[in-house]
Amino acid sequence: MTAYLIRRLFQMLIVLLLSAAFTYALFNYAPGGPLQGIRQQQQRISAQDFARLRARFELDLYGPVRFSRWLIGWPNGPIYFAGREWFANTPVGCYIFNDATGVCEDYVYLAEIPEIHPAIRSSRGILRGDFGQSTVVRQGRPAVDEILSRLRPTLELMITSTIFALLIGVPIGIYSAVRQYSRFDNFFSTVAFFGSSMPTFFFGLLLILLFAVMPVFWEDRLPWLLSLPPGGREGVRPYEIATWLPRIEPGSIVDRGLRMLMPVTVLTFTGVATWSRFVRASMLEVLRQDYVRTARAKGLIERLVIGKHALRNALIPFITILVLQIPNLFAGAIITESVFAWPGMGQLFINALNQNDYPIALAFIFITTVLTIMATLLGDILYTIIDPRIRFT
Amino acid sequence: MTTAAGSLTTQRALPTQEKTESQFRIVMRRFLRHRMAVLSLAFILFVLIVSLLAPLIATFPRDYIDPSPVTAQGLPATKPGPPGILHADGRVHWLGVDHAGRDLFTRVMYGGRISLTIAIFVMLLSETLGVIIGAVAGYYRGWVDSLISRFIEFVLSIPTLPILLIVSAIMIKNDAQLPLPAFVTQALGAVFLTRDAETNKLIVLMLILVAFNWLSAARLMRGMVLSLSEQDFVQSLRAFGASDARIIFRHLIPNGMAPIWVDASLNVGGVIITEAALSFLALGVIDPTPTWGNMLDQARSYMFQNPWLPLVPGIPLVLVSLAFNFFGDGLRDALDPRLKR
Repeated sequence: MTAYLIRRLFQMLIVLLLSAAFTYALFNYAPGGPLQGIRQQQQRISAQDFARLRARFELDLYGPVRFSRWLIGWPNGPIYFAGREWFANTPVGCYIFNDATGVCEDYVYLAEIPEIHPAIRSSRGILRGDFGQSTVVRQGRPAVDEILSRLRPTLELMITSTIFALLIGVPIGIYSAVRQYSRFDNFFSTVAFFGSSMPTFFFGLLLILLFAVMPVFWEDRLPWLLSLPPGGREGVRPYEIATWLPRIEPGSIVDRGLRMLMPVTVLTFTGVATWSRFVRASMLEVLRQDYVRTARAKGLIERLVIGKHALRNALIPFITILVLQIPNLFAGAIITESVFAWPGMGQLFINALNQNDYPIALAFIFITTVLTIMATLLGDILYTIIDPRIRFT
Repeated sequence: MTTAAGSLTTQRALPTQEKTESQFRIVMRRFLRHRMAVLSLAFILFVLIVSLLAPLIATFPRDYIDPSPVTAQGLPATKPGPPGILHADGRVHWLGVDHAGRDLFTRVMYGGRISLTIAIFVMLLSETLGVIIGAVAGYYRGWVDSLISRFIEFVLSIPTLPILLIVSAIMIKNDAQLPLPAFVTQALGAVFLTRDAETNKLIVLMLILVAFNWLSAARLMRGMVLSLSEQDFVQSLRAFGASDARIIFRHLIPNGMAPIWVDASLNVGGVIITEAALSFLALGVIDPTPTWGNMLDQARSYMFQNPWLPLVPGIPLVLVSLAFNFFGDGLRDALDPRLKR
């Protein structure tokens, strides 16, 4: 087990480095690049100013140097070793690059880094949690702060809907497996089928249409209809959902709850569709096993066979899948958040992408990857702990 | 699943002409019994034909902006305008006009044409790629297999949507133009009915989707090849001195195709939704080029005054995606009843 763990940790590190390099390369060497947004915003710009801007995003430095600074915050100046400065005059980048001639007019030397990049001199690299500063969405603020400020709404939404989905989906899955091909099973199979082919964004729009738009349209004929707020997490001013109900104060618990209703419904619906199918399949697999037949043969009552012998074994793979949801809890539901204007992680990510705010997008993707890698490992370890039949070597 | 599919292939391992015919007929008969699947196939064919004939059916050019639509009573109509309003010369906007005044009936057909073409091409490319990579991994085993399998496992374990969004944001928003040979762009442009610059963007999007879509086919084919190469006919092929390429392409892949057909049809539905989601988030196909996804995105800003607007692209989107799923489901039951859910 120890050897296995060490090997897995080592693999994790390699995967992490590779994915960091991949995402970084994607952002920095794809056509356009991080300066595209700035170039679009400020058309006329002198060579000196442009160089200063480039320096602000470290674009003057050469790729490997920049990557290493981004990853571990090194080098951030000349290297001191045995009381001496080393490599102080090694060019590590190009401050002013002449596009017309293709010649570098002013190099950046290792010793100049602290002076040209004072703002980022304290950068500790992403491996130590420093993701640099947001360039557009909230200019100048640390990207990681911006992300953390969105963590709460996302977790609120994701945890609520995951709990609901589990509470509804797991029992449905168990019962469908126990009564395979019954009317109940067929009904929920169809529901799950629709759930998996219904695009979440259209489902979300339909809900808005039904519960926020149509009640306003039918106000004359059906004045008792509730009209839910179409999006956001908190109201700005008091509003009414129906004439016969008291006004709702923005920020109150009722306001929050009402606004969560639709996004949570969408996420719960897709969640139930997936979980119930998964539990059903896993349960059917177990019900076919010999030990279930043995339990029945020795005359155990059906409730015990299902609850004690089958269910427990059926839930083993389920736990791994559940652990793999951790990164999703963080990453949020990008599409659902965007449909309901929910100020969470997913929406931040979309905004960052639409406005070319690369530090935020990079931080988002990197944190998600790290969480995924850790969740995978955790899932595997949990598997061996729960199921003694599995041994990793 | 591999055992079930394996026994299917043993039936096909000694094919005589007559035997394969009857096998095909058995599959057909089982498929035809699945009523929803047949209905779905008919619907898919209908949508395909309509979108192929789009330029003939449409009463307006794709991007034509109606300067002043009028209601049936002859009063000036709003933009977006509801179904049934008229062009000044009397032509009807069957599904109304969008916020710019473009005919929605026309755009929904062209949009379907683009969405479906993207989905089908992406499916073809990614299944081909996946089948070849999976077969190679399964046949050679060893480090080739573990490299490919680890990679597939890793990509399948990360949440792909953010990565997909990032890649398309970078490539498409920054107008990445692939240096493609002109005949490729023109050939696809003739299918999409788009200008070259638009076509190039669509091709970039297709390639991005392929990059994230070949994995499931590769995994399926690898499993099939792993179990098939244990069988005697592969041993005998080797003994006869057949080359690796011949064994893989003439024997292993054709015998392992059953789950791939199912995967392919489910894949089309998946790609339609993914492409629509990307376009909906303004990171896929971008405006003048219509797709169901970006039409929904535009509809969302105007739906509070025009509740019918999101339904125009939304209903065909859901129906087509459902149809491909039903079709795949029927295909699965037909190809191997033991795989039935």
